[in-house]
Amino acid sequence: MANGREIDLPMPTVRHEDIRVRLGAVSEHAPRPIKVVLNWGRRYSLWVFNFGLACCAIEFIAASMGSHDFIRLGVIPFAPGPRQADLMVVSGTVTDKMAPAIRRLYDQMPEPKYVISFGACSNSGGPYWDSYSVTKGVDQIVPVDVYVPGCPPRPEALLHGIIRLQEQIASERLSTQRLRGRYAGSRVASAGDVSRPLLRRPAPTQAFPTVPAGPTAAGGGE
Amino acid sequence: MKVTEVREVPFGEWSSTVLHLREEGYRYFDWLTAVDQTDAVDDAGFDLVCHLLDVREPRKLTSVLLRTRVPDGVAAPSLTGIFAGAAWHERETHEMFGVDFDGFDDGSGLGLRPLLLPEGFEGTPLRKSFVLAARASKPWPGAKEPGEGHESTKAPGRRRVQAPGVPGPEWGPRGVES
Repeated sequence: MANGREIDLPMPTVRHEDIRVRLGAVSEHAPRPIKVVLNWGRRYSLWVFNFGLACCAIEFIAASMGSHDFIRLGVIPFAPGPRQADLMVVSGTVTDKMAPAIRRLYDQMPEPKYVISFGACSNSGGPYWDSYSVTKGVDQIVPVDVYVPGCPPRPEALLHGIIRLQEQIASERLSTQRLRGRYAGSRVASAGDVSRPLLRRPAPTQAFPTVPAGPTAAGGGE
Repeated sequence: MKVTEVREVPFGEWSSTVLHLREEGYRYFDWLTAVDQTDAVDDAGFDLVCHLLDVREPRKLTSVLLRTRVPDGVAAPSLTGIFAGAAWHERETHEMFGVDFDGFDDGSGLGLRPLLLPEGFEGTPLRKSFVLAARASKPWPGAKEPGEGHESTKAPGRRRVQAPGVPGPEWGPRGVES
């Protein structure tokens, strides 16, 4: 806040090396059986980090409980924090004030990392699509792999979204081309680049837009 | 809970009424906010609303709702000297409606500053004159209002929404019918 007492957070280190180096140079040339094994391990051990922001978080919790039980799909909701998580589920209304925190925690997650946008609000703004304070979809700040529609979606919808994500992971090539295209292609940000303290006024030129694209061509109501 | 009494207070007696009620026993400050009445025919301005409770007797809550009309651009007297807890409410009212408060003091010496809005936000979003620009700029794959967006069913020509905050046609494309 602007009251002069700034929280002294330790500065994250800036990553200099290429993503390719981090994932291992050999992985690009790994034989197919190895890729299958690695993808199989990846898809069934998704430590999930729940970014619960509104009522959709309740449905997420319901999905983790006994009757729906997404742990049987390998989704483990006990990640101590974003640094130990593979999957972030953004469930709820993302506001412009919360957006920097989401981006910061997303950038703290180790790669490969996946995002499920759960519910109408985090997909597109939902019923608050014209609000002055609601971000029009979490995909404006982080890349989203699977969108789960609904207001709120039932837990079954989340299970379906998780299965879809696991299908995507299974068909993933271990080549870092896709990862570079997704992350390093558009930006080379790491945790160090978002080291701006959350409790201080952010710079006016932010890395993500808080207002969607300007007036578009006619026929916006198609 | 039920509001047991509503009082219209002249603007000049705003803080003295609250002080008097506190002495009377209404010691619990519930909330304070404003209502945009700038489109009122006479004495346009903002309704400042304050809710106080008398909690001395259990099971017998009495409450009083105070209301006063603040002309636009005039600073209202701050209640932080009477109820310190009014500081958050006055900061919120200030950022949402642009109502100034004279003598605001929450002990920090930083004055009226944004409470809920993101830093750098411009405008007072709960004013009726605040235009929701996303309605003009955001492409939306469906009907924004009931009765529009159904090309096939030839929805009856509903009147355009005239609610405050809806941008006019000069703001750009809104839909097929605009």
